[in-house]
Amino acid sequence: VRALAVTLIVLVGLTGAAIDARGQCSSSASSCVSCHEAQRLHPVLADGRPWHGDHGFGDLCAACHGGDPVATSKDAAHSGMHGPLVNPEQSCAGCHAGDAVQRAARYRATVAPAPSTGPPAPPSTLGSSGAAPSSSATANRLLAAVAVGLGLLLVVLVAGKRQRIRPLEWLRAKSWSAIVAGAGLGATVTISEAVCGRPISASGAFDKLAAYLGDALFPRSPYYAYVMRPGITWQVWLMLGVLLGSFASAKLARVARVRWLPDAEWVEHFGRRRSVRLIVGFLGAVLMQVGAGIAGGCTSGLAISGGAVLSPAAFVFMAGMFAGGIPTALSWARLRRGMQEKK
Amino acid sequence: VTMEIAKALALGFLFGWMLHKAGLTHYERIVGVYRLRDMTVIQFMLTALVVGAVLLQASVDLGLAKALPIPPTFLVANLVGGVVFGIGMATSGYCTGTVVAQVGEGRLDALLGGLPGLIVGAVIFGLLQPYVMPLVARSAALGRTTLPALLGVNPWLVIVVFGEFVIVVLYAIGRHEGRDKRRPTATASNSVEAPETNS
Repeated sequence: VRALAVTLIVLVGLTGAAIDARGQCSSSASSCVSCHEAQRLHPVLADGRPWHGDHGFGDLCAACHGGDPVATSKDAAHSGMHGPLVNPEQSCAGCHAGDAVQRAARYRATVAPAPSTGPPAPPSTLGSSGAAPSSSATANRLLAAVAVGLGLLLVVLVAGKRQRIRPLEWLRAKSWSAIVAGAGLGATVTISEAVCGRPISASGAFDKLAAYLGDALFPRSPYYAYVMRPGITWQVWLMLGVLLGSFASAKLARVARVRWLPDAEWVEHFGRRRSVRLIVGFLGAVLMQVGAGIAGGCTSGLAISGGAVLSPAAFVFMAGMFAGGIPTALSWARLRRGMQEKK
Repeated sequence: VTMEIAKALALGFLFGWMLHKAGLTHYERIVGVYRLRDMTVIQFMLTALVVGAVLLQASVDLGLAKALPIPPTFLVANLVGGVVFGIGMATSGYCTGTVVAQVGEGRLDALLGGLPGLIVGAVIFGLLQPYVMPLVARSAALGRTTLPALLGVNPWLVIVVFGEFVIVVLYAIGRHEGRDKRRPTATASNSVEAPETNS
């Protein structure tokens, strides 16, 4: 295990040294999206204009508006911007090669009067969360203090009820209560979002890594040309951290070892053959990543990180997860039972 | 740049640590939640959500956070994607994050099956994206919004209501598991490698 881990670390370290990781604190998203939408400085995706809504699924601003989507300062990012109608035929043709002219004509007709060259003045609602009106800001500050105070009290009470906790044994434990570990993840998400302004996300890293493959294999794909550029991003480093964290936890608990051994319930469902585990695991992982792509995130990036900022998307995604997962798991179990009865 | 990488590694480390300590690197645990047998995933996720929601809203109100990353809501896409994701998760017993955590624990099936699957899945999505996304992302697109913003209420109201719901659910799960422990037949281990029980 140690050799495996060291090899991996060295490999990734070399990759990291070879690739100029950009220092943008705004993840895989362009700086357009991270300032305008994520920081809500001037959101446009929900402004009711059809092309913004239609194209909101991708990070496509620069394709029509120009500018520098990777620059991190406002001035640098906005330099080289042009009105979206400077050459719409060309902008549209990037993705809609067949009917770019018709599409461009439609857009020309809709916005003919106002071809603005710069971004309009930001609206007055430049608030942090966008939800709390300023009159209740003090009340909210109070509420926040009360909530954090209550939380601390709860932790002290629970910890006080236990007999002495020995820190070393605690770290070496094979497992923690899921509630304690969940609270730890909640704190991790808080640090990530409040300090770094980024979600704790897993699927984004694989999109970025897969883009190396996609870019090489499908150079004509508009998705890989405009939306998903390859890169060793923050998310990729996050996943390396996950690898190390899980390894450390398992190592301290003395359960880390290289193994093929499947879990008991897997054997009950699918038997002991390694090839079956590989194929089913592979196909399941393919489905997961496609689902995460459609939904805009996975369990960590959308459900937990999004749910913690009370995004409706997170709760709808979780409902979908269970709507898809429960029948699937139950039918695997039933299939297996049926096969056993035949025997 | 180095600072950013260090932050990412540290946060990832905590994430991986928590995943492993919660026992979510086990097939049983992930599939068990969909078979309505093992509520670990629910306990883990709901606690993370509530703790995260309280701390994040508190840090916004106390002026500690700049701006939070709010994911865009496309109700149809979120739901359809969730269903596909759930099918994959219930089949493989993986989750995008736990695949990596499983590799860290030394599992070869995650390294040789799960990780390549995620990469291939991402490429397949990339090819489908121009055709699929306009279908599902055009309708019911609410933008980067939040529940309190949609409802026009104070975020704390939503957090308190959700928090109470979570406390009730966690309490119910705790009661139920307590009953199971008294009847030891329920989770007997006929196992090749049984998951560790919570102490």
